[in-house]
Amino acid sequence: MTAVIRAEGLTKFYGASRGVSRLELEVRAGEVFGFLGPNGAGKTTTIRLMLDLIRPTCGRVELFGLDAGKGSVEIRRRIGYLPGDLRLYDRLSARELLRYFASLRGLNGLGEGESLAERFELELDRPIRALSKGNRQKVGIVQAFLHRPDLLLLDEPTAGLDPLVQITFNELLREVTGEGRTVFLSSHILSEVQRLADRVAIIREGSLELVEAVETLRARAYVRVEVTFAARPPAKRAFSGLPGVRELERRGQVVIFALEGPADPLIKALARFEVFALDSHEADLEDFFLTLYREGAGGAR
Amino acid sequence: MLASVFAKTMRDRLRAFRWWCLVTLGFVALYGSVYPSISGKESLNKLIKDYPQALKGFIGFGGNLDIVSGPGYLGAEIFSFWAPLVLLAVAVAAGSATLAGEEEQGTLDLLLSLPVSRTRCLLEKLAALVCEVLALAFVLWILLVIVSYAAGMHVSPGNLGAATLGALLFALDFGLLALAIGAATGRRTLAIGISATLAVAADVLNALAPLASWLDGTKLASPFYYYSHGDPLRNGIDATDTLILLTIAIVFAALAPLLFRRRDIASP
Repeated sequence: MTAVIRAEGLTKFYGASRGVSRLELEVRAGEVFGFLGPNGAGKTTTIRLMLDLIRPTCGRVELFGLDAGKGSVEIRRRIGYLPGDLRLYDRLSARELLRYFASLRGLNGLGEGESLAERFELELDRPIRALSKGNRQKVGIVQAFLHRPDLLLLDEPTAGLDPLVQITFNELLREVTGEGRTVFLSSHILSEVQRLADRVAIIREGSLELVEAVETLRARAYVRVEVTFAARPPAKRAFSGLPGVRELERRGQVVIFALEGPADPLIKALARFEVFALDSHEADLEDFFLTLYREGAGGAR
Repeated sequence: MLASVFAKTMRDRLRAFRWWCLVTLGFVALYGSVYPSISGKESLNKLIKDYPQALKGFIGFGGNLDIVSGPGYLGAEIFSFWAPLVLLAVAVAAGSATLAGEEEQGTLDLLLSLPVSRTRCLLEKLAALVCEVLALAFVLWILLVIVSYAAGMHVSPGNLGAATLGALLFALDFGLLALAIGAATGRRTLAIGISATLAVAADVLNALAPLASWLDGTKLASPFYYYSHGDPLRNGIDATDTLILLTIAIVFAALAPLLFRRRDIASP
């Protein structure tokens, strides 16, 4: 089966440091492909290269087996795009904008727009300039989906959506991939990509760090536990050998652990000491990068 | 209603266009109402004869300085400055806003994610620009025909049409230049700045060139010269002049998609 997206040595330089460098990507039909990286890593650049809004310095990207430049109009017919920095025609109402886009796509009326708007509880007849950030984002989502595209390029799609709407959005993605259609989803939030994607590529400073199935990634994920001791923390060996517990760093009275699996062994071990405060949260993307590099460095040694 | 980029662009311009029509109506009515009180007053012509030559270059239209006859009055008051300025303002505003303006606002990103080629997008916007300026020129012409008849200026609709067509083409030259600069750079103020500066330069060059013999040949580089020197209000349309103005417009119109196609679109 041919890949829906295939990038080969895709490179775009602009300015001094921004851009992407020698990307190799292959996205398969019917999957949600997460494209994860901090802001400014090159996620938007990659998507805009796919849309032929910008041209590669070297390398190439193909969609549906067509060159992104030469086959652009044919490719765009089959793509729905939600920009990361969404700008809409503020003077139009949502209905007018959707009808305009639908007719440029050769559809009558709003296409799927009407039912999608209903589903997202989007008011179609108010001018877009009067809509809240979340509602504008809904307009962006509806216009990306209204022609039942084979591929969705979604750049930070859940920005500004409240949690209930995010659930509706997640359901929509699941339906889309259930029909064999493909989603390319960029995000800087690890948990979001873990929740939605089947496979993940991680991009940092314009280069691809790894491409992996989400389960593999999840296996590496951990909870970050920050323990503040009432006095000087106990020696390192007090916690060495606990299952699923790694010590990450210490700062004065604070020790930070990485916890995978059940919390019980760590809690029991801590109980022997006087603990002043305890804080834990899921590791975010930067934490994740830290372990990634630590492992990489460990492997090289 | 919004079935194409062309229709959308026309609608974007509609509000401003209505205002320009009102302004045009106001000016033409004002000038028309003043004409009867100076019609045939030869003393005014004598007064103008003593004006500095440089000033006469700006007032005169088609080499005549007679403001008390119908064609002379319309030339000096409407066609030497006001009519080309209004059409120019509309053309340059449209030419810079339609593409570079949309790129600066960031909506071009989304528009070009739809299955519309860049060339088609540009050509539809270009067509909307031409239609807008053409429509305003038509309104101007109709008003002038009415006023000329009502105030007894004795200028035929054909000759009024010839002068209006010249002003229209002059304005389109610079409007399409603004579009081409916007297509090449995506920057609206740059497009306005360069095309407006060159349009003023064309007027100044045409007015001042006759003052010095060494400068005189340079007027041939000014589109304003081809618009005005044949005195269309008296002589009607001049094929060569019209063709030259039209060629300039076509060159910029052809250049715009070539420049637009090969460029990176700025991110919002």
